[in-house]
Amino acid sequence: MTRPALGRRHFALALPSALLAAGCAGPHRGTGRPGDPVVLTLLSHYASGTLHRALQGPVDEWNATHDRVKVRTKAVEFTDLLTTVMVRQAAGQGADILHPYCLWNGQLVRAGVLRPAPPEHAEHIRSGYGEAAVGAVTVDGTVYGYPTEAQTYALYYNRRLLREAGLDGPPRTWPELEEAARRTTRRDRYGNPLIQGFGLSAHDDATTVGQTLALLHAAGGRFVAPDGRSTAIDSPAGRAVLALEHRLVARGASAPAVDVYQAFPSGQVAMVVGAGWWTGSLRPLMGGDYRDVGVAPVPVPEPHARPATLATGFMLGVNTASRHPREAWEFLRWLNADRVSTLRGSTATRMSALQVSVGSLTARADDMRALLGTGGDPNLRPFLDALAYAVPEPNVPGAARAKALLRENIEALWTGRRSVDEALRTTRRQVDQEVSRAW
Amino acid sequence: MVNVLTPRTPERLPTPGPAPARDGRRRARRRQTAVAYLFLAPALLFFAVFLVLPLGFALLLSVSHWTGFDLGAVEPAGLDNFGALFADGSTFLVPVLTNTLLFALGTVVLAVTGSVLVATCVERLRFQGLWRTLYFLPIVTTVVAVGNVWKYMYEPGGLANGVLNALGIGSVAFLQDPDTALPSVVVVQAWASLGSAILVLTAGLKSIPASYHEAAALDGAGPGTVFRRITLPLLRPSLLFVCVTQFLTGLQSFALITVMTRGGPGDATDVAALEMYRRAFDYGDWGTASAAAFVLFAVVLLVTLAQLWIFRRAGEDA
Repeated sequence: MTRPALGRRHFALALPSALLAAGCAGPHRGTGRPGDPVVLTLLSHYASGTLHRALQGPVDEWNATHDRVKVRTKAVEFTDLLTTVMVRQAAGQGADILHPYCLWNGQLVRAGVLRPAPPEHAEHIRSGYGEAAVGAVTVDGTVYGYPTEAQTYALYYNRRLLREAGLDGPPRTWPELEEAARRTTRRDRYGNPLIQGFGLSAHDDATTVGQTLALLHAAGGRFVAPDGRSTAIDSPAGRAVLALEHRLVARGASAPAVDVYQAFPSGQVAMVVGAGWWTGSLRPLMGGDYRDVGVAPVPVPEPHARPATLATGFMLGVNTASRHPREAWEFLRWLNADRVSTLRGSTATRMSALQVSVGSLTARADDMRALLGTGGDPNLRPFLDALAYAVPEPNVPGAARAKALLRENIEALWTGRRSVDEALRTTRRQVDQEVSRAW
Repeated sequence: MVNVLTPRTPERLPTPGPAPARDGRRRARRRQTAVAYLFLAPALLFFAVFLVLPLGFALLLSVSHWTGFDLGAVEPAGLDNFGALFADGSTFLVPVLTNTLLFALGTVVLAVTGSVLVATCVERLRFQGLWRTLYFLPIVTTVVAVGNVWKYMYEPGGLANGVLNALGIGSVAFLQDPDTALPSVVVVQAWASLGSAILVLTAGLKSIPASYHEAAALDGAGPGTVFRRITLPLLRPSLLFVCVTQFLTGLQSFALITVMTRGGPGDATDVAALEMYRRAFDYGDWGTASAAAFVLFAVVLLVTLAQLWIFRRAGEDA
């Protein structure tokens, strides 16, 4: 007997049903039984070639040595990470393991996205990491994940451009910074910047605000008041920082219209305040010209002033929506706590080795020193030294909004829309009004 | 000539039949009604699931505090969210809503002016189909591609500044200067929407009888007079349609601004749709985002009603 062929009516019914089923079905996550391993997803911002490969290495190692639990990585650009986390969570497709910027932790905890670390993991995190790193992953006294990288801000400078301007070394104070910026600046006859003395990044909230807060801390100021419920930027230190940036732009030494993250590697920016992760990108991008790049501590307003800068960080945590939290924490412990021998002969956690391999800083200062001491990039050392005096970024629930508001006012200042005093007043009013609602 | 508007006279109405026949007809009508509802059911279900439910949920959120994801965490907030949008220090009214209105208005003015000019000129050219296709191309190009190409053209070393420099004019920081950023994006939005406007206006132009223009020419009217006195008035319904649709699109604009400026520099190009998206998905403030959505809805409704009123007036006048 011959079976009837698939009729047009069957096909018409089967196609939409299949599409509906495919659309509604989530990815297969496994049961953990033999032959059907648990599949954990890890969402991070390690999307570019080097970073993606660096994370994939240990993940592949885990997958090769563990039969019951497998890990699958998903990556988006950093600028899309928060939105992706929120949208995927809203759609019920949140990853098991998240890799958030610590600034967002308060917001993510309040939204019920992050799962508190189990006691044994929390204890390990408290004892294994520095104070700033632990503070960044802690919200209301609860630890939510393993710190992965600690970023501090320092002054990147182009040795060749400074030398050509007759300068022996990087500036140490703000007057020296302004003088160096003035001497290195070059423009064509139409006013187009050929070389910016001091680059101001308008790339995104993180870089724009990061450089300002690094200078603010160097001047002894703070963005958030000690109680964490209002801003403290409207202060003499805040005024001094915004006035410095305003002078640099007004005198033509800075051109925020130019993307500093493209211009500096091209040798068109003499100095810029940036975070440690950038060294890892600059090295492959600049090739031989990277030898011209130097890193120095963020200049302070006056000689002999106490150094200070901004510290930011990321962490790996587990989603409250994960169906396999125990397995996820086990993977995180393996990645962040178990020590392995590195190629350079020292021992470090897999995450520390990963960070240093891409020219970044691990949140474990001891690992960092061991790995740097065996032939790492010397430009990372000032960032490592800065961990001792850097001020951690706040991670209160409204921190991301506060940062966005500060950025808007900084840009309004650069573009002449607001004076220094207006920018400070507006920032204070907006941050206090909008962010106080977050608690 | 038959007057189709003449109502049926009573004697032409069907005479009532016997009772069983009437019952049969009633049953048939009921059956037809049931079948009609049956056919409508998928559409009604679709609207209920994808329009009425989200609308109701958004309304609930607009009077609640909610950080997202956990429905058990919705907390009543009364009108707090609306109050926060217009409180001292809030950026929603100025510059967000004002930017939105300026963006929409600028787009309408540029797109309508440009499309009238182009449509009128294209009418006089050979190979009209080719020109119309060329102008329609931006419509079928993704906003991301359009935004990125124009972004590169606006950059300090880009094509736009290259042209200015070649003319001996200094460079302009199109997207980085708050005074020029919004107009620069408006130009792109208007350029991208020219195609559809030209399509509508070309149809409008073709519907104007040629005899009107011939009569005007015989009376000695010049091209300017013909355009002002004949073409424009008869094109008014098409123009108003273009105005209404362009304005609505402008008020809800999001993608192009996200690609080109992300609302910057500062908040110079921040618009309502972008602001509510950020509040919900970046800051987890779903209550204020929903409140902002309803304020924008009210603005769109008011503007549309005003335009429909003008449309109706213009229709009567015409």
